[in-house]
Amino acid sequence: MAKATQWNTMGRKLLLEKAHVEGIRYFDVYRREGGYRSVEKALKTMTQDEIVEEVKKSGLRGRGGAGFPAGMKWSFIAKPEGVPRHLVCNADESEPGTFKDRYLMEFLPHLLIEGLIVASYALGSNTTYIYIRGEYAWIPDILEQAIAEAKANGFLGKNILGTGFDCEIYVQRGAGAYICGEETALIESLEGKRGNPRIKPPFPAIKGAWGRPTVVNNVETLASVVPIINEGGEEYAKIGVGKSTGTKLISACGNINKPGVYEIDMTISVEEFIYSDEYCGGIPNGKRLKACIPGGSSVPILPANLLLKTAKGETRYMNYESLSDGGFATGSMMGSGGFIVLDEDQCVVRNTYSLARFYRHESCGQCSPCREGTGWMEKLLLRLEKGEGKISDIDLLWDIQSKIEGNTICPLGDAAAWPVAAAIRHFRDEFEWHVTHAAEAQTRNYGLAHYADPIHVPV
Amino acid sequence: MVQFSEERLAKVKEIIARYPDGKQKSALLPLLHLAQENFGGWLSAETMDYVASLLQIEPIEVYEVATFYSMYNTKPVGKYVFEVCQTGPCMLNGSDNIIAYISQTLGIKAGETTADGLFTLKTAECLGACGYAPMMQLGKHYREHLTKEKVDAIIAECRAAAAANN
Repeated sequence: MAKATQWNTMGRKLLLEKAHVEGIRYFDVYRREGGYRSVEKALKTMTQDEIVEEVKKSGLRGRGGAGFPAGMKWSFIAKPEGVPRHLVCNADESEPGTFKDRYLMEFLPHLLIEGLIVASYALGSNTTYIYIRGEYAWIPDILEQAIAEAKANGFLGKNILGTGFDCEIYVQRGAGAYICGEETALIESLEGKRGNPRIKPPFPAIKGAWGRPTVVNNVETLASVVPIINEGGEEYAKIGVGKSTGTKLISACGNINKPGVYEIDMTISVEEFIYSDEYCGGIPNGKRLKACIPGGSSVPILPANLLLKTAKGETRYMNYESLSDGGFATGSMMGSGGFIVLDEDQCVVRNTYSLARFYRHESCGQCSPCREGTGWMEKLLLRLEKGEGKISDIDLLWDIQSKIEGNTICPLGDAAAWPVAAAIRHFRDEFEWHVTHAAEAQTRNYGLAHYADPIHVPV
Repeated sequence: MVQFSEERLAKVKEIIARYPDGKQKSALLPLLHLAQENFGGWLSAETMDYVASLLQIEPIEVYEVATFYSMYNTKPVGKYVFEVCQTGPCMLNGSDNIIAYISQTLGIKAGETTADGLFTLKTAECLGACGYAPMMQLGKHYREHLTKEKVDAIIAECRAAAAANN
């Protein structure tokens, strides 16, 4: 399926345009390439409300996975007299399949710092934190160097650019816990506690870190503030389609020729993204596409036929609306942009087991449905994978996932339930085959089956 | 006795100053990283009690955090800890084979340490390197696109480094 030539591969780049400029990691080069203009513009010519308004106009949606409008989130921050407010950057990137924020921080640390300064000013945060997953142990050095350089050049510290605005940015490492990507768990962790999510309300915008109004935003979201301020919210919103404005970083992995981080403008098709040489470059060894998890491990897995086209037979595109077209019955989600491709030789039961093990490991244990349910799901999936399962196990799995979803304090429960539900919904015959052909299932995989057949579209 | 050097204590002070007054407990995660690095790669009860005293909090507040996060070792580990990712995308790219190969080469199962105290093998859940799978964390850095040959080279590299330090 080498169709690369028919695609328009001239996507706009707003974040990664300069990623390959030599020395862009350092202040002097970054500044020479036009860096920190948005700080000058925002702090010298705009009020806090005007910045929030620009971000609202841009239509920027949270890039961590939930997709909530960033400008609206900013506008919720409470401003009680005399109480400090905080911006916290969520760099706890831990959703399997997702490694885009790491790329941004490693190669363009100043882009993040620049976005953080503008956002800190807009929100009135004089002390801003970057909470980064502990395993990214070498990245705090890169960020702290960028912070020191920005400070030495008057973009951080006291009285930034003579505007009277003070801001310090500190980096805090986590210590290995997926749950700390959930914003209230992250705040707990920042306070030196276990990462147990809080019950909302109160929302962090009212009572966050140390009981103070707090906004938590993803790395990519904050980096996107830079082009929004430079070009204006309206210009930013012209890129993309519908409510999927601007560009999105996609980290692509699994069975593809060119795994990596790509910036897309959300108007390209899923098929182009997988097969174009500009992006994933197709599937290795001439194998066929079996399935894909398009937005990080939590979002529903889709068989090839429903991935490339919607249930209505329309082309599916790489944006929020199109990826979720059909709801959970026949669609998936953009999520965090962690794009995982499975070729015809992969086993859906084994993949689902691996993800279930992940969620069991990462459940914080506060809510019984999640703590117990993730353990049960892992055990049942392992039993099925080893050819020791029963047909009734598949129904039990369905029952358990349905009892986790919506019954927990935080979305980890949903995130654990959805992959299991989607795998059974679309690949039930493969699960059943692991029971009815238990011995054979230990020697070979189920294969492509009918998952790549064209879908029948009723007229 | 567990005790940071003057230089380390200055760092501790600097870290605590990042947080609001009276909220020094916020420095717990960074201090535990520092302590683990400083005191043999793991957190003994004595180390945790020391961190509690530095932050003027109860020891239990340290224990409950140390046992929650996967990066803190509450038991001794080898000089070199191989933390191999086994989640979804890494699995699709053969992480199980890498884990089995390390296990066979070093003669230890996941969670165990070699008799000479040099190597510990741990399985890890998603480390955010999915596009560079299979991979593992070794100390501060990631080792990516692992093959059996690369694993052999890493083991040899660790042995050489250990020999040079002794």
